[in-house]
Amino acid sequence: MSVVKKIKALLKEAEMYHSQGLLYEAMAKYNDATELVQKSDQLKDKPALIGGISKKINTLKKDISRIELAPKKPEMSTNIQDLIKKMSLFSPDLDEDAKALDAAVTLAKFGQFKRAISEFNTLLKKDSTRIPAAKNILRCHIALYSSNDAVAQYQTWLSEDAFHPDQLDKLRIFLENQLKREGVEKTLPKTKDQIIEISAEASAEADEEHVPAPEITDEEHHEPAAESEDVLDVNSLGITVDDGPQKGNVYEFKVRFQLGKVVSLLIPSREKDVVENFKVGSEIHNVQYYTNVGLFNGSGLVAAVKEITIGPLRGDFCVDIEVVVH
Amino acid sequence: MAILNFKKRQIECKIVYYGPGRSGKTTNMEYVYRTYTKQVTGDMVSIDTEGDRTLFFDFLPMGLGEIKGFDVKVQVYTVPGQVQYRSTRKLVLKGVDAVIFVADSLAVRREKNMLSLKDLQHNLKEYGISIFKIPLVMQHNKRDLVSEALPIMSLEQMEKDLNRQLKVPSFPASALTGKGVGATLKECLKLTLVSLKKEMKLE
Ligand SMILES: Nc1nc2c(ncn2[C@@H]2O[C@H](COP(=O)(O)OP(=O)(O)O)[C@@H](O)[C@H]2O)c(=O)[nH]1
Ligand SMILES: [Mg+2]
Repeated sequence: MSVVKKIKALLKEAEMYHSQGLLYEAMAKYNDATELVQKSDQLKDKPALIGGISKKINTLKKDISRIELAPKKPEMSTNIQDLIKKMSLFSPDLDEDAKALDAAVTLAKFGQFKRAISEFNTLLKKDSTRIPAAKNILRCHIALYSSNDAVAQYQTWLSEDAFHPDQLDKLRIFLENQLKREGVEKTLPKTKDQIIEISAEASAEADEEHVPAPEITDEEHHEPAAESEDVLDVNSLGITVDDGPQKGNVYEFKVRFQLGKVVSLLIPSREKDVVENFKVGSEIHNVQYYTNVGLFNGSGLVAAVKEITIGPLRGDFCVDIEVVVH
Repeated sequence: MAILNFKKRQIECKIVYYGPGRSGKTTNMEYVYRTYTKQVTGDMVSIDTEGDRTLFFDFLPMGLGEIKGFDVKVQVYTVPGQVQYRSTRKLVLKGVDAVIFVADSLAVRREKNMLSLKDLQHNLKEYGISIFKIPLVMQHNKRDLVSEALPIMSLEQMEKDLNRQLKVPSFPASALTGKGVGATLKECLKLTLVSLKKEMKLE
């Protein structure tokens, strides 16, 4: 085969691989072709040939970097997300808003944070779902981006007077606790004026001159320690089996998500045996709840047990437990 | 393992298209979706991200009629082939009942085919499944490229590389034109049903 024919064949191959998405294979062939051109002394217009090939290489390089830079964990398609929403564990007696809230939480459980945030935002407009939706927006921000984003969101709400002062207080304490969980100790502004002061404080680092805004404590209004509708945020829980063949076994589960008093656990299919201990409606005695302020003992009501039948978590179990504080 | 639902009288099983990246798994499923409209019971769901590579999985629900009064539903998935999506691949394989291995006939992908088959064996093993026992069908895809004067492996070569020990049913195919796609899937469904019937007899 003449050199020209060889080069042509290589270029054709490269193009074919490129069109099939076999980008590295295509690159190898273009490189072979370039080398062949450079080595040959029969060819007339070498620079033009090499120029032509390197143009193709550049296009290919662009495709490669486009793919290498593509996000690794994309949001799933709307269709999949709709399938996931249908899997939410709502009980039939919930009202429409509560169901919508539950569905949005389910999306978040599956890591579909952007879609979840947009649904929670809709739920912010309704009184009954306002606070839980706001808390979950903050959670999603932390999971999706960073704690800074959650703080920015909180500050936006603060500056826009989006919430009643009582509600904002709840959100502030909630967020501070969430941040602590992430290992971030941060004092959040309580009023609009403090937003500027605190960010100035941060930029001046440990500025001794800075006089902190006076704490205004009015008698009536003290910090809601653990808000009534929301038990402390549970990070994980330990269960001691007190009956049956597994009696005495201790299991620890990480809490995947929490909505008010109900915590959600994800139990991998290989621990299927444990799931047998969870019968919907039954009470589990002897539960240790680990929170950011410490451990408390309590029990739990099994609210729902569902095998995930679709998507990558197929076969795993989602167990919802209502926290009962003694 | 298939999921039996006695209340709904339903059997749900799962078939996965496995193979190296760009071997034609998604193209197989697209053809099935377009062609077997009677058996397809819902939309094909896939994620086309930058560069249209499967980052997550494709999903297609199908119905296969009845066995013993049970409605047989099949969830068909593809896995992302690229090496870096190992964990997604494993998740998609969870609870699998049968596998279609789509091999690429391009000679430059020879090693990738073999590595992917090994990866399949390894991932199945982690779920306690032997690649020798699970219903498995092999497809040698992109046969249409033979006419393009490209370096393509012969079928004998591919059988030797991939099917010497397994000795499973195998089909030449061109997912792009649809040739061999139906035959591959049908064989796989047949093997799935046979093994389901066996399972049900045992119970
Ligand atoms: N010529 C040819 N190209 C194919 C065939 N099957 C798939 N392709 C092409 O190969 C590339 C990768 O296919 P895709 O189905 O996305 O592969 P996957 O990564 O296994 O899902 C695409 O450009 C397809 O058009 C085939 O049978 N013949
Ligand atoms: Mg694909």
